[in-house]
Formats: sequence, structure tokens, C-alpha cells
Amino acid sequence: MPTYYPSLTTVSLDKTRHYASLDHTGDFSTTLLTEACTQAQLLSIPKGVWQLYAYDQDAHTILANEPVVLTADSIIRHLVGAVEVAIMAVTIGLHLEQEVSNLFLKNQYTLGLLLDAAGTTAVEMSCDAVCSVIAQQAAQGGLALGSRVSPGYGDWPIEIQFEVLELAAGASIGLSVTDTKMLVPRKSVTAIVGLYPYHHRISLTNQQALSSDKCDQTSCQARKETNKNDPGI
Amino acid sequence: MIQVFDGAMGTMLHQAGLKPGQCPELWNIEEPAKITAIHRQYVTAGATIIETNTFGANRIKLSHYGLESKVAAVNTAAVTTAREAAGIQTKVAGSVGPTGKFIAPLGDLSFDSAYEVFYEQISALDQAGIDYIIIETIIDIQEMRAALLAAKAATRKPIICQLSFQADGRTVTGTDPRTAAITLESLGANVIGANCSLGPAQLLPVIETLAQNCSIPLSVQPNAGMPQLVDGQTIFPMTAAEMANWIPRLVAAGATYIGGCCGTTPAHIKAIRQTIDSLPQQNVPRNPAFTALTSRIRTVSIGAQFAPVIIGERINPTGRKSLAADIKAGNFNTVKKEALAQIKAGAGILDVNMGVPGINQAITMKQAIEDLSTLVDVPLAIDTTDPATLEAGLKAYPGRALINSVTAETERLETFLPLAKKYGAAVLCLPIADNGVPLTAIDRVAVAKKLVALAQEYGLRRHDLLLDALVMTVATDATAAAETLLTLKLYREQLGCPAVMGLSNVSFGLPRRDLMNAAFCAMAVDAGLDAPILNPFDPLMQDVWSAAVALSGRNPQAVVEYSKKYVDMPALPQTTSTATPDILSQIRQSVINGETTGVAPLVRQALTENLTPLVITDQALTAAMNEVGQAFGQGRCFLPQVLLSAETMRTAFNTIKEVLPAHQVQSLGTVLLATVKGDIHDLGKNIVAALMENNGFTVIDLGKDVAPETIVAAAQKHQPQIIGLCALMTTTLPQIDSTIAALKIAGFAGKTIVGGAVLTDSYARQSGADAYADNGVTAVNIAKQLLGS
Repeated sequence: MPTYYPSLTTVSLDKTRHYASLDHTGDFSTTLLTEACTQAQLLSIPKGVWQLYAYDQDAHTILANEPVVLTADSIIRHLVGAVEVAIMAVTIGLHLEQEVSNLFLKNQYTLGLLLDAAGTTAVEMSCDAVCSVIAQQAAQGGLALGSRVSPGYGDWPIEIQFEVLELAAGASIGLSVTDTKMLVPRKSVTAIVGLYPYHHRISLTNQQALSSDKCDQTSCQARKETNKNDPGI
Repeated sequence: MIQVFDGAMGTMLHQAGLKPGQCPELWNIEEPAKITAIHRQYVTAGATIIETNTFGANRIKLSHYGLESKVAAVNTAAVTTAREAAGIQTKVAGSVGPTGKFIAPLGDLSFDSAYEVFYEQISALDQAGIDYIIIETIIDIQEMRAALLAAKAATRKPIICQLSFQADGRTVTGTDPRTAAITLESLGANVIGANCSLGPAQLLPVIETLAQNCSIPLSVQPNAGMPQLVDGQTIFPMTAAEMANWIPRLVAAGATYIGGCCGTTPAHIKAIRQTIDSLPQQNVPRNPAFTALTSRIRTVSIGAQFAPVIIGERINPTGRKSLAADIKAGNFNTVKKEALAQIKAGAGILDVNMGVPGINQAITMKQAIEDLSTLVDVPLAIDTTDPATLEAGLKAYPGRALINSVTAETERLETFLPLAKKYGAAVLCLPIADNGVPLTAIDRVAVAKKLVALAQEYGLRRHDLLLDALVMTVATDATAAAETLLTLKLYREQLGCPAVMGLSNVSFGLPRRDLMNAAFCAMAVDAGLDAPILNPFDPLMQDVWSAAVALSGRNPQAVVEYSKKYVDMPALPQTTSTATPDILSQIRQSVINGETTGVAPLVRQALTENLTPLVITDQALTAAMNEVGQAFGQGRCFLPQVLLSAETMRTAFNTIKEVLPAHQVQSLGTVLLATVKGDIHDLGKNIVAALMENNGFTVIDLGKDVAPETIVAAAQKHQPQIIGLCALMTTTLPQIDSTIAALKIAGFAGKTIVGGAVLTDSYARQSGADAYADNGVTAVNIAKQLLGS
């Protein structure tokens, strides 16, 4: 199965500022933010794995050995026009989340919170790096990548997490799912990405990223992460 | 003369009947006539170089079809079919594509395994009689390095190296064309270029950049535009005439080997041939060669025409017991921290020395280089005296490293220079001969000239070499520094190679070594030093370096950077005539500002002014937290700021306890917190705990994934006034219900507050909770209200 362990020669300060809900506070300590990003760089061990499957958009079915039928409207809409899908799993490992807990135990709450945000940046940057490899390979076949969507976003139920991880072969990079469908390590992502005929994607208006403002789920984590005043609890 | 490659093979194979899922390369054996016919079409169209049908004929790719044992047979047959079509005039290039795997540490394939895979295929192609090897469509520079090294070992034929770039101008793993040009020319490629992924319009700037950064011929094989999938077929939209229109610009950019990749056909090649035939002879000028080091994703140029650059010296266990112990134990955390910190302090290149006695330095160096190459973007210098360690580091490094160092001593030259040539590294040369260190500048230059000549005999170029001027202490020889400075000047005048040297020897045996080192650094930059090896953490050196570089005139940005760095720093202690606020106001403001280190002296001062802890707490600390809480509620400040204030408040409390150990803080009440069963996320709960604790509550934190019965037992044991429960996911929401139900059954008389990403006010009510808090600050306020009522 294809694997890629992306380099993390930087962890974006701006993205971390965003995930820490600090977009609107220009005067917040850059020293602390920089420290969190540096620590995230040191503590992350990015790993990605993915598998490509043919996709039957009429039957909303991922054509794996054991075909998986999609039932949620949002993901079905998202994949309209896709002829293949890439199912990916990415993690930055356990070290960072352990350090976040340690920092709270040491009463360094702010650095703990910022490191958690920097970890989110690290895993998102790793996902982007994996997607660019998939995109490069897909382009040779005339296919373009859509945006990635993870279980739990929109009305795509989190209950499919286990199947998605299996389809991605996520166990090969040390990922597992709890009974309550949470990924271990926590700073991990599973996602589906549609591969669209190049001409199709650029003319398709409904193939959009599932941003939180288009989603009915008002209390989900994605929305909270993008809301400026949210504590992330 | 411009050489014309052929066009796509895959497109033609499918037209000839190759079915999806069939191995294209197996047709060299099973359908040789069809392959020859395709080649012949391209020869007829005007190709002067045709590529064998062996793009995927390596062991790893063939194993997908169970053909891994057929590498030699498939490649030999491919050359035969191509040769049959080529005739006398047309050359045959053996096509070598990627393995499809990433080399460690970006993937699971070892460098040596990749090398063997490429060596096997290229040997077969060579023995079958190709005229060129073309390594193409490679997306990672390290895979290209493995393939190129294997090719150099397997054949004496010219080697063409083509990477695939993305629309952002970099390969998938981040290499830009400039870095690729410098790395691959140094490594011994005969032709470099780009193919696939992009059309001619997108590849034009790539070729322009390659041309500016190397002197070897350039090749380009664009796709016929960007691919499209139409009715299940991949279509490349660019017509032959459209493609040919781009040829004059690609030639003007410097390309002299031109063909097509995906989607191009004999018609495209014919149009390209005709266009090339109509062009006047062109000789595209190239930039003069210069010295540069590269990482996977970045180039650092060194020399008189470039900004001086610091080589950070801190990754060196000599005299550093703790670092040596870490390295010996295989723990590279300190090495990585030092790397990032040195870059932050201004280093543009990092020296890496793994010289710990009693370890396998080669293995250790390999590990360090792999770890650092994925962590930092600056080039590395491999600092060792051991040839095996040097080779391990050079092999693992996905760029052009600096070797630190060689002397004119025979043994070192004979082992190090061949490795430098093989791996395309630059070399730091110390003018130390078998008979010792020359004391005068004249003698050093004489030895340096011999070193340069010897290095050139080993195939190295002038711009592969950097010269050390040798630094001796002025404590024993007052003219030592002057001789070094003169050596720098003579190097620049007579040899032109960049100058590099460590500085700190100059001050050995003297007091205030930092002062002496910094002054020497400034003088050396003026005398021609291009890259000092120094400790970038030295604050005086940082200041002097900023000023010296700004004054050197070699970096147009340096004065701006100097101004930015120092404009906000007060030159003198500030005096102010405005009235100082009272101490309680200062403490309050300190908490609001989150001054975790500034609050303690203020609290001490308040206590010495006989203010009681109660007054400090009520009128300064609590008042500040209330103000921060209000600002948070109004969207004027954000969670990290609230937490920073909480940390500051904690420091203030600790200071009170430190000064008055007998002082007892009155608790507002006991709060028991837990993330419910099945939920492993605890960040939000931790935040609530921190805020509760620093607002005067006693917190009992049960952690995450806590079963209802555990929470009930803890409630019975601690008798909290409030229990806070957290759930992040829809899958763990029901645990909120069951925990509250269990608490009610157990007769818990206190209040419950719930929160978490997926919780809502209505869900909280429905579950039987007393309150819902959508953030930590609200949770604190609700707790106060619940207890107040």
C-alpha cells in the first residue's frame, strides 16, 4: 500500500494562531506561539497511508473487496462526478498529545493549549502533503483531487470510522479506533477524497468543500475550531 | 544540435491494444513487433533519441505482475525492439521510471534497496546496448539520487535525469528547480530536465531556472497539456501545432533535448522536429558557476557575491557530556532541538558531528542526517574524520552537503575526495600538509593551491571547494589573527573559492572570549570570510554579526533586518515622569496582561507594603480574572489569553504561599471533573480544571474515559458541590445521560454542569444536568452562581 511520511520542516504559525482562536488578537505572545510550533515540529512523527478504489457514483459505493455503500447525503453529494476515491489515514503520533497533557499537569496551560493547536496544524499539513502525492499520481490519469472529508463531518456519521480506517489500511501506520469511534492517536485524520475527471471537476459547481457554515451540525468540533471564541471543550 | 526525443509510449500502447491491467513492459517480450512499430513511427516523425519501453521495468514495479524475476529479460527485449527501429542515425535511451515507493525517512524503502533496484535495471539496459540512460518522472530528489548513483555505477553512458514538478514549481517532496539543478549537476548527471505532470507552458519557467543554475545540457518532455478524463478515456488536449508553438521558447530558455511525455504522439514529435529544424542555431548563455549547498528543498549560495552565512557549530558532542550521552543512547531530541534553535538564532547551515567514542558513528550519522533532513530546511555540513561515517551521512542526505573537512594530508585526501566526487558534496579544505600547520598566510595559500589542484585531479570543480584560513590563538602569537585575515584576502584574490572557518580558537586562553571572537568575526567578514562556523547562541556575536553583515554591503536586506531587529530595543534605561499606579492596580494589570514572570515581584512588594493576602486576592487577582472573563464573554479576548492570565494568577498565589507559608486560601468549593467513559479527549476538561482551580475552587480531576461508577464512587468519597462532565463526540454523549442517572440514583446532592463539542443546552437539560457550559469561562461563572444560590 502507498505510504508517505511527510517532512515537517515548518509548522505554520498562522495556521496555529487560527486553530488557537487567536486570529483576532494581533498582540498575543509570538514567543509562546513560536515555542508551540517548534515543539510540534519536534514531537510530530507524520505518517500517511492511502488506498485508491473505484467509485460507483450511481450506487454511492466504494468498490473495495467488500464494497462500502455510502448513505449520508452530504458525502454522496460531495462525490458526485468522482470516478475513484482515495481513502487516507494520517497521524503525527502520540508524543505531542502526551506532551499537551504533561504541560497541563505542570500548569503550563497556555503552552499546552497552543501545542494542541500546533498539533492540529501539523496533522493538517501532513494531510495536505499526502494529498499532493495522491494528486500528482492521479493527474497522470487525467484525474483531479477534490477536497477531503472525514467521518463525522456534515451528516457523514462517525460510526463509519472503523470501515474508513480499514479501507485506508490505517493500522499499518499504527492507527486504531476505540469502541466510541475515536482515533488513537488523537492527532490523526481519516478522510475520503474524490478523484474527478479533470474537466468535470472544474465545471462542477456543487463539488465544494464541506465548510462548517454549510453544515447543519451546529455543535461539531470543526465548527468550534473555526469559531473565534470557543474553548474547544 | 538539438536532440529530439520521442513522445508517449503509454498512449501508443493502449492504441495498439494493451488492455487495462496488463503489464506494458511485458509486451517487449510478448509483442515485440508492436513495440518496434511504435518506435518506428517516432523515428519516422524525426526523433533522434527513442526511449525503451522500460519505464516500469524495475523489480518493484514488475512485482505487481509477478514478473520481478524478469527484469533482465524485459529490459533486454526492450532494447532489442528499440534498436530494430532505430537504425544507425537514431540513439536509444534506456527509460528508468520511479519505484513507486518513497525512500526512508519519507517511506519504507531503504536507500540501499532503491539503489539495488535501479542498479539491476540499468545494468540490464547497459548490457543490452543503450546509448543513454534516462531516469524520468521522479518526484523525490532522494530517489533520483539513488537512481543516478546506481546509473553511474552501472554504465559509462550519458545519464539524463528528469524530475516531475507540480504547478507550484516544486516536486511533490518539495525540491525546487534551482536546488535540483545544483544537486544533480554536482552528483554527476550529464543532462537534467523535467518531464510529465505539466504542459510546456508550466515547464518553461522550470527550464529557465534550471538554466540559470547549472552548466550541463537541459531536457524537457512536457505533457500535451493538462490531462482530462472524458468518457473513461484520459485525454491530453494540446494539438501537435499548439505544442510546437512552445518549442522556440523552450529552446530560448536553454533546452537542447526536447520531446514529449503523456499524450504526445508521432504527430507532436513531427511538429516539434519541424519547428526545431526551422530555428536558427542558438547558444543560450549560462550563469558563471558558483558555490552552493542544498537541502531537499532549499539552496544556500556561498561566496563573495552572496550574503555571508553562519554555519552553526552546536551539534557537536565534543566537550558536551550531556549531548554525548544522548547521542550514545540513540536519543536525538537534543540534536533536533539544537538544530531548530540554531536556525532561529540565525544559522543558515548546520554542522553535524557525531564524534562520540564507543559508538558506531556511521549508523549514528545516518540516523542524525535522516532526522535532521526532515526537520530543517537548511543545508548540512557533515563533520567527521572517519570515511565510513562520511559516506553514511552523504548517502542519507537528500541534497548537496558540505564535507567538514579535508587537509592536504595524503590519507585524508585519498579517502575523502573520491567520496565528495561520488556524492556531489562540497569540500571544506584546510591547508594543513603532512608536515603540519603553515604559520604564514603565504605558506597557507601555497598549500591551498596544491589542495585545489589535487581536488581537481579527483574530478572536483573549483566551486566545489571552500577554503579554511586556519585560526590560531593570539594568546601565544600576537600576529596569528593578522595572518589569518591576510590569508582570507589572498584566498579571494588568488583562488576565488569561498572562505569558511571556525573563529573561537583566536581567543583561546584569553578572558572575555566572546568579545574577542565577535571582534574577530567582524574583521574576518571584511577580509573575505563568507561563512564562519560559530555558536549562534552567543548574544554578543549575534549583535556584532548583524552589524557586520549590514556594513559589508553583501546583503541588500541586511540593513533593513538590522533596523527591524534593534528598532524596538531601548538603548538606555527608560525614565518616565508619569505617576506609577498603586501596587494592586499593577498586579491586576499584570494578571490581565498574562505576565507570568512579572507578577511575582509585584506580589512580594504588596506583601511588604503590609497588604493582606485577602486584599491582594480580592482587589487584584480576582478582580483581574473577572475582568478577563468579561472580556472573553464580549469577544475582546480569547482562550489562550484567559489561560495565560490563569497561569499568572497561579504564580501570584504561589508567591503568597512562598512568602506567607501559613496563609490558608479559602476554597470556593469542591469541583469534581471527568471526561465520560469512552471519550479519550481531555483538552477541554483540562482547560476547565485550570480555570476552576485558579478561580479559587478545589478541583478533583478524574481524567478521561471515566466510567459512571467511578464518578459515583469519587462523588461519595469527596462530596463535591459540583460535578463537571465532558463529552466530545456524538458516540459518547449517551455516557453523559447514564452518568447523571447513576449520580441521581446514588443520591448525589450537588450540582452537575456538562459541556463538550457536541453538547447543547437542550441536550444538557434533557440529560438531567443542572447547567450547560459552552466554554471554560462560562463553566466558572456558572459554578460560582450555582454555589451562590
